[in-house]
Amino acid sequence: MLPLMLKELTADTIAGRARAAGEPAWLIERRETAWSFFAQAAPPVWRRTDLSGLDADALSVVPGSVALSVVWDEAMAAQGVVVKPLRQALASHGELIRQYLDAAVPPLEHKFSALRAALWQDGAFVYVPRGVAAEAPIHVRYTLPEGSRTTFPRTLVIVEATAQVTVIEDFVGPDQLAPALAAPVSEIFAGPGSKVRFISVQRWGGGVYHIGGQRLLLDRDADAEWTSIALGGQVQHIEAETTLKGDGSRVNWLGATFASGTQTLLSAPWLRHVGHSAESFMQFKTVVNDTGYSVFDGMIKIERESSSTSTRLEEHALHLSPKARNDSIPGLKIDTNSVIKGGHASTSGDVEEEQLFYMQSRGISKADAKRMIVMGFFNPALDTIPLEELRRELEALIEGKI
Amino acid sequence: MSSDLVIHDLQARIGEKEILKGVNLTVRAGTIHAIMGPNGSGKSTLAHVIAGHPGYEVTGGEIWYKEHNVLELEPDERSKLGLFLAFQYPVAVPGVTVANFLRAAINAHRAQEGQDPKATAIPVAEFRKQLREGMKQLEMDESFARRYLNEGFSGGEKKRLEILQMTLLKPSMAVMDETDSGLDIDALRIVAEGVNRLAGPSMGALVITHYQRLLNYIKPQFVSVMMDGRIVRDGGPELALELEEKGYDWLREELAGAA
Repeated sequence: MLPLMLKELTADTIAGRARAAGEPAWLIERRETAWSFFAQAAPPVWRRTDLSGLDADALSVVPGSVALSVVWDEAMAAQGVVVKPLRQALASHGELIRQYLDAAVPPLEHKFSALRAALWQDGAFVYVPRGVAAEAPIHVRYTLPEGSRTTFPRTLVIVEATAQVTVIEDFVGPDQLAPALAAPVSEIFAGPGSKVRFISVQRWGGGVYHIGGQRLLLDRDADAEWTSIALGGQVQHIEAETTLKGDGSRVNWLGATFASGTQTLLSAPWLRHVGHSAESFMQFKTVVNDTGYSVFDGMIKIERESSSTSTRLEEHALHLSPKARNDSIPGLKIDTNSVIKGGHASTSGDVEEEQLFYMQSRGISKADAKRMIVMGFFNPALDTIPLEELRRELEALIEGKI
Repeated sequence: MSSDLVIHDLQARIGEKEILKGVNLTVRAGTIHAIMGPNGSGKSTLAHVIAGHPGYEVTGGEIWYKEHNVLELEPDERSKLGLFLAFQYPVAVPGVTVANFLRAAINAHRAQEGQDPKATAIPVAEFRKQLREGMKQLEMDESFARRYLNEGFSGGEKKRLEILQMTLLKPSMAVMDETDSGLDIDALRIVAEGVNRLAGPSMGALVITHYQRLLNYIKPQFVSVMMDGRIVRDGGPELALELEEKGYDWLREELAGAA
């Protein structure tokens, strides 16, 4: 389809395009609702995310198209695992999608969430039926084709009771000549007793503004590991949440962010405790270099209906340059008296001179020592990446930023 | 190539505080030389200045080793020259495993200017073999290699790791900074045996200690006493025994009387 200028879009053109693409009525209706919210809503007040470099009037949208590739072990299809583009899945799994899409990340939260709900084009659909262990990682790569200035991808992962899966969501692309907008939404539903590993990697080239929404929703006794890696783009603003809705659910959430050059990378990961006896641990590591700026706006929210929560949030930042900055704003909101353990910690500092000296005293050069310290700092997150090649690519990217 | 470590009129300070006030000392190649002295006499500062710690400012004097003015070299260059410092307080580096650290250090030593580091790197099988043997000698469990460098290590584990590094890097001159501190008798024995295996014609050692205890295990040929930033007396093993018996005060009084 031909690109449309963002500024010329109306609810009618959006609905018209969706109808022409054969989308179901419920989806067209949601798009219209989201668009009218977007059209009326004031821009959100994000004090630490500067979008002034992005000229929305200059952006165009290609409806229905996302550059997407999925690498997975297709033999798992025999077990009932479904992996396909979301648009194709609308035909085969329409009812499931109607039920789950937008059920985790609320579409009408702010202007950008509404924009994403109105304009999403395509994405990845992953479905793992009850009791099935999808052993091999499913690697979903989104790219921004040359010349394209926007992308609105969706990832929808539905994991039924006691099933297991590893999904890697990977945003990758070359440097952009003009600012571009990536506005993805990822929703992961972990059924009762399921085991889910989710790895999200943001490694866009320069010039990309990434405004993302991610949510992992845990049912009873679900056990999740989430790794969030942020290295690329010009500006990142990711609102992410793990909702520990089910009793006995658990999450171990690791992050690795590296802002260098003139990047601004913000992550707002929330742990929301709703169920009983749920356990969560979050540890985000941040490195800043050059004039890079990173923001950790993490939060533990313990809801009134929860009980016996155990939770801990940590953020550690390492500065490689005196001009680099990071803001750490960890929060803890507790609306119940029933908490077993709840705490947060944050540290920030330069590479320690004593560490450098110790390593140098063994013959390792200062530059190599620094590289090893940074890599070691990120190691807990990198160690969770199940694909050797992807890990090596990320390590090379990190080395290039030191 | 064997060489003496020659320290001449070395002066150093940290901030405004003068700590070394003209140290003269020669550690002869292939010998064990102990430095004893009370707390605060400057022993550890001397060890750190030899290794090139950036926190100390050298205000005068020279250190020569293998025809190099050591003070002009970076800490990693000093290591490649054959100098080794066994730390009193080894530093933790989270996320860097013992094995990866050791391999990086060995490869740094093997690297040759103008050559691809891959060409000079130690073959994986050879490294594993050396590591396994070294750990066995020091009665270390194999899981040690996968742990993060000094993170959560007990005092004894840290000191054993220092000796393991020394074993693999094969220095020609080792400076042992209070290696006995924080060790129980078993650990002390293992560490001392490690040092004794290496010390000899191919490795000299400067053993810094507060107590004579360590010298029951590591036998020095030479003993020097340091006080208030200077070497105040040189002797043989009998000097250590005398200090053990009488403490440092008699020496202090004797020196005051002489002055």
